[in-house]
Amino acid sequence: MSLRRDFARRRNTGILALLVATVIFILPFLYIFLMAVKTKQEASLFLFNWPSEWQAWQNLVDVVQTRNYMLLLAYFNSTVITVGAVTLLVIFGAMVGYVLQRRPSGWNKLIYACILIGLMVPPAIVPTIWVLQGLGLFKTIHGMIFIQVAYGLAFSVLLYRSFISTIPRDLDEAAIIDGAKPWQVFFKVILPLLKPVTVTLIVVQSIAIFNDFTNPLYYLPGKENVTVQLTLFNFQSQFQSQYNLLFMNILLVTIPPLLVFIFFNRQIVAGMTSGAVKG
Amino acid sequence: MKTLRYSAVMAAAIAWTSGMAQAELTLSVLIDNNPETIASMEAVTAAYTAANPEVTFDIEQRAGGADGDNIVKTRLATGEMADIFNYNSGSLFQALKPQETMADLTAIEGQANVLDSFKQVVTAPDGTVRGVPFGPAMGGGIFYNRKIYADLGLTVPKSWDEFMANNAKVAEAGKVPVITTFGDTWTSQLFVLGDYFNVQAEVPTFAAEYTANKAKYASTPAAMRGFEYLEAVFKANYMNEDFGVASFEDGMRMVATGEGAHYPMLTFGIGTVKQNHPDSLADLGFFAQPGPDAAKNGLTVWMPAALYVPAASPNAEEAIKFLNFVASVEGCNTMIGAAGASGPYLIKGCELPADVPPAVADMLPYFQTEGMTAPALEFLSPVKGPALEQITVEVGSGIRPAAEAAALYDQDVEKQAKQLGLPNW
Repeated sequence: MSLRRDFARRRNTGILALLVATVIFILPFLYIFLMAVKTKQEASLFLFNWPSEWQAWQNLVDVVQTRNYMLLLAYFNSTVITVGAVTLLVIFGAMVGYVLQRRPSGWNKLIYACILIGLMVPPAIVPTIWVLQGLGLFKTIHGMIFIQVAYGLAFSVLLYRSFISTIPRDLDEAAIIDGAKPWQVFFKVILPLLKPVTVTLIVVQSIAIFNDFTNPLYYLPGKENVTVQLTLFNFQSQFQSQYNLLFMNILLVTIPPLLVFIFFNRQIVAGMTSGAVKG
Repeated sequence: MKTLRYSAVMAAAIAWTSGMAQAELTLSVLIDNNPETIASMEAVTAAYTAANPEVTFDIEQRAGGADGDNIVKTRLATGEMADIFNYNSGSLFQALKPQETMADLTAIEGQANVLDSFKQVVTAPDGTVRGVPFGPAMGGGIFYNRKIYADLGLTVPKSWDEFMANNAKVAEAGKVPVITTFGDTWTSQLFVLGDYFNVQAEVPTFAAEYTANKAKYASTPAAMRGFEYLEAVFKANYMNEDFGVASFEDGMRMVATGEGAHYPMLTFGIGTVKQNHPDSLADLGFFAQPGPDAAKNGLTVWMPAALYVPAASPNAEEAIKFLNFVASVEGCNTMIGAAGASGPYLIKGCELPADVPPAVADMLPYFQTEGMTAPALEFLSPVKGPALEQITVEVGSGIRPAAEAAALYDQDVEKQAKQLGLPNW
């Protein structure tokens, strides 16, 4: 008897959880999708209803063709910035975290303070632009990559440092005894072991950088330097907005991060659990 | 030896291309992303390049609103501004420190065509003119539905009492008298801001005394009327039921399709109706905000944005030649052809076509008679408090009485006046 009741209770909580998840995650997405396939007259009503006239293909073509295929250029730029910045973040974050964790010295406290400052103090825009201008990096894609690396590095170092402390030192020593050079110890022994935390970092940072709006807005002016989030301004302005195209654009912009998540989903879960066991 | 010859060829090639670049000049342009602005700028630059093939343009768009303000200020501060840029006139223009950042355009040829009423809103504190008008002027008043007016036999009101009498008849007929859309809080300010013509008709020195901290909203009965109007409409229960959440788009739809009779708004709303409800455009009418005296009724005008040339631009000479073209009748007609006419352009001799939408035609008589228009207060005084829209929402929702709200707004502007470092605050 009690077993059956137990089963019923579990089933009900399961259904309830699914319902809550649907409301929180699926409904907004469905709303974006429905708005994206409406005509602009219907979209301006902001109703959650089935479109009376499907215009998905036309809206898609309109959005892609706007301002001389600006969206495609934006995808390219955003991809370059995201891949470049995340690669540098992983390499430098792991290196700094490794050295900080393995080599206790008097400097560590100072370095640690600098990292915390990097995490906490908000950056000022105009002085940063002066620095970029002085270095000849303003209005360039690689300048933008360096900005993203600078903003994200503190977080990655902290993440790597605490993860590396769970890797036994014996592994380093064994490798050195076997004749590995210092860079071989890092790249051949330690870095592969960091895979779980690296995957987490890739997902977190690439979504943050891909979705970044304000930094490209100020640091990367110029019409050939556009990033995906900035293309939203093509359809939304102070006085007049085309909401069907705006939502279609949002839909298109949401797809790449979604793919990253689906692609890495298994590894993220694996990364979380392996980290949990190691404590 | 080989490398030396190679580099010599390279140097020659570079010299050749830079020689080309001098003959063929590209001017960079930074404009906001309103569809009308983009269409006008694309048309007028194309016309200029057709006449002067050696000059081409590189048009870049930026956000509007607060983001746009930051972009313009950042780029001026860092010397990265385009050769030509568009930006608001009036108090926002003054906030850019025009006497330091912008080229002096007082003496350029094109200024001869610009109406004096516009020149005063792009004049720097040192008395020099720094911009030429770009785009049509907007009126701030009340949209009305012509069909409801025809069905109920109403006439366009000239005084507030006539307006309220019309509202009573509309309410009897079961329609919404005054559409209110506090979902977009900025729409709540119109009764106060659009009333400025009536304020200055009664107190001509209000703007100057207000800037000098001598006149206050709370102590000037004419100025406080804007707040009282909001209160009166709420008390008479003339608003739509969902006034707290309705958006600007809802408001324009309701007044165009006849769900409601009146909607206080700026005339740029015509563009929204044109896009979303083109069939209802003929039913949309417009009148200036009525005041206490029917004989002294007129329109409060929002001046268009202007084009400026940054002081640091290396191509200032060519940029000014282009601005001369923008301020010419030919340039003005090009822009009307591309973006349509949602209001009068402030260029002498630039007439609007005969087939403008009725709401635009309603607005033109005010401009044709001397003394029937006045610029909004934000073009005459740099003092505008950041919390006005929150305060007007409170009054319009019956949370705060008008007198108290006017006093609160006087406190709100004090912060801004002090920030600007105005004397006597």
